[in-house]
Amino acid sequence: MNMPRPMDESYKMLIGGKWVGAGDGKTLKSYCPANGEYLASFPDATKGDVDAAVKAAWAAFDSWKRVSAQDRAALLLKIADLIDANRDKLAMIEALDNGKPIRETANIDVPLGSDHFRYFAGAIRAEEGEAVMIDDSTMSLILREPIGVVGQIIPWNFPFTMAAWKVAPVLAAGCCTVIKPSSTTSLSLLEFAKILNEVLPPGVVNIVTGKGSQAGQFLLDNEGFRKLAFTGSTEVGYEVAEAAAKKLIPSTLELGGKSANIFFPDAPWDKAIEGVQLGILFNQGQVCCAGSRVFVHEDIYDKFLAECVKAFDRVKVGMPWEKDTVMGSQVDERQLEKILSYVAIGKKEGAKVACGGERATGGGLEKGAFMKPTLLTEVKNGMRVAQEEIFGPVAVVIKFRDEKEVIDMANDSEYGLGGAVWTKDINRAFRVAREIETGRMWVNNYNSLPAHAPFGGYKKSGIGRETHKVILDHYTQMKNIYISLSEAKLGLY
Amino acid sequence: MKITSETPVEDIVGIPGAVQYFVERGVSPVSCSGAFPRTLGRLLEIKEVADPELFIAGLDAAFGAPGGAGGGREERER
Repeated sequence: MNMPRPMDESYKMLIGGKWVGAGDGKTLKSYCPANGEYLASFPDATKGDVDAAVKAAWAAFDSWKRVSAQDRAALLLKIADLIDANRDKLAMIEALDNGKPIRETANIDVPLGSDHFRYFAGAIRAEEGEAVMIDDSTMSLILREPIGVVGQIIPWNFPFTMAAWKVAPVLAAGCCTVIKPSSTTSLSLLEFAKILNEVLPPGVVNIVTGKGSQAGQFLLDNEGFRKLAFTGSTEVGYEVAEAAAKKLIPSTLELGGKSANIFFPDAPWDKAIEGVQLGILFNQGQVCCAGSRVFVHEDIYDKFLAECVKAFDRVKVGMPWEKDTVMGSQVDERQLEKILSYVAIGKKEGAKVACGGERATGGGLEKGAFMKPTLLTEVKNGMRVAQEEIFGPVAVVIKFRDEKEVIDMANDSEYGLGGAVWTKDINRAFRVAREIETGRMWVNNYNSLPAHAPFGGYKKSGIGRETHKVILDHYTQMKNIYISLSEAKLGLY
Repeated sequence: MKITSETPVEDIVGIPGAVQYFVERGVSPVSCSGAFPRTLGRLLEIKEVADPELFIAGLDAAFGAPGGAGGGREERER
């Protein structure tokens, strides 16, 4: 099947409800990493463009914050319906720009996105403040008020879904936003912007595009934000946190990981083998919470590993637009170079390649950034390949003896984002899940990231939680109204 | 291009082999955020590289100086 071309030839930014190019006319180009073909151009924002976006957001804020929860919820639901109506187009654009397979974008990325808007529409209708009588003549009311205009930066691994994670709660909370996608994968958000512009008042959502060092830095430097939100690497997370701290504004950060996917002898077998694949092959392993350290109990190690190798070797690596492709390409050559570098490092450290370990070629894949599903064995938890985020379809497999040993190894990481325990013993599942220092522990599943379950990291994996109504606390401020019902003087003065 | 501590990382990572150089020395210049969006010096500071000058000198010798592997490299804006 030839590569489809559902995207526009060129896109503009959305600022104040208008489609605008960069102030100096500069553009960037997007390419499909599966074959190197040019897709579309989009603006490389100037500082003036980012300033204009912030100004437009503030101009919209005073009206938007007064929209009732009922009316905001209705708009969120309308956005969700339009996402679903445009699912196929959004999914294909995402697949081509990112390299991930259409079976994932159409069945997971885009539907997760629309569901986010539905979830938050429901969450705000159920919200209530608090009222208490401090004493017989004093009442205290607690209300939540929108924090204002926020700045948001999202990564290239789940561009559309991350946009939904960021925009849905912003709208729900009554805030306005300036959001910047990665310059690697800007197209799906720019396409989605057409839906947002159809539904929302001008200026409520503004989208600026461009390089991290330019548009991204202009956004971090802008004094007009009341909060920053970022999903990306821990290294850049430091920059975002510092930018927020200098302005004395809060930031929420969802950062990197090196999560432990732990298999006990009584794991549901076939589901567990799939669980290894889900943990590290979903999205070509380009997932912050990827199960990149696979811990297997010594009693089942040999048989389990052998079956995982067969399962990995069966995975069809192919063009992202083809329906039977299970794993697409990495997002670009630089990421692939990083992944291959780590495989080489692993070998130098003493690891063995059980399967994969090299570029995938043949069958037309030579022009793209394709990697074979890879398992590294003979790995010790202290090796670089077990400690550092590779961000590709490469998992290390480590044997363990008992709960204490695997818990210690799982926690021996600077990260704490995801992880899983596979067992039919509910007591063991809870013991292990509670002992591992991570924000999300899956039990007998992996990489399920729906709304309604909070997601976020411990340690260097970030600050704050998303995908749950708790994020509304980050986009609002607490107002206390303290009322004296007495008309008598205190007698102090 | 001479590579110094002020060189944007974005300008370096497109050079074939440069990412490998970084990773071999314990620094990841690319991530889900794309290329690190600040200077080489800032990245090495965050990663607490013990001898940043040595790192930069090696990178410049391999990829930055005229006649090095980095001269005239193709860069696709992503």
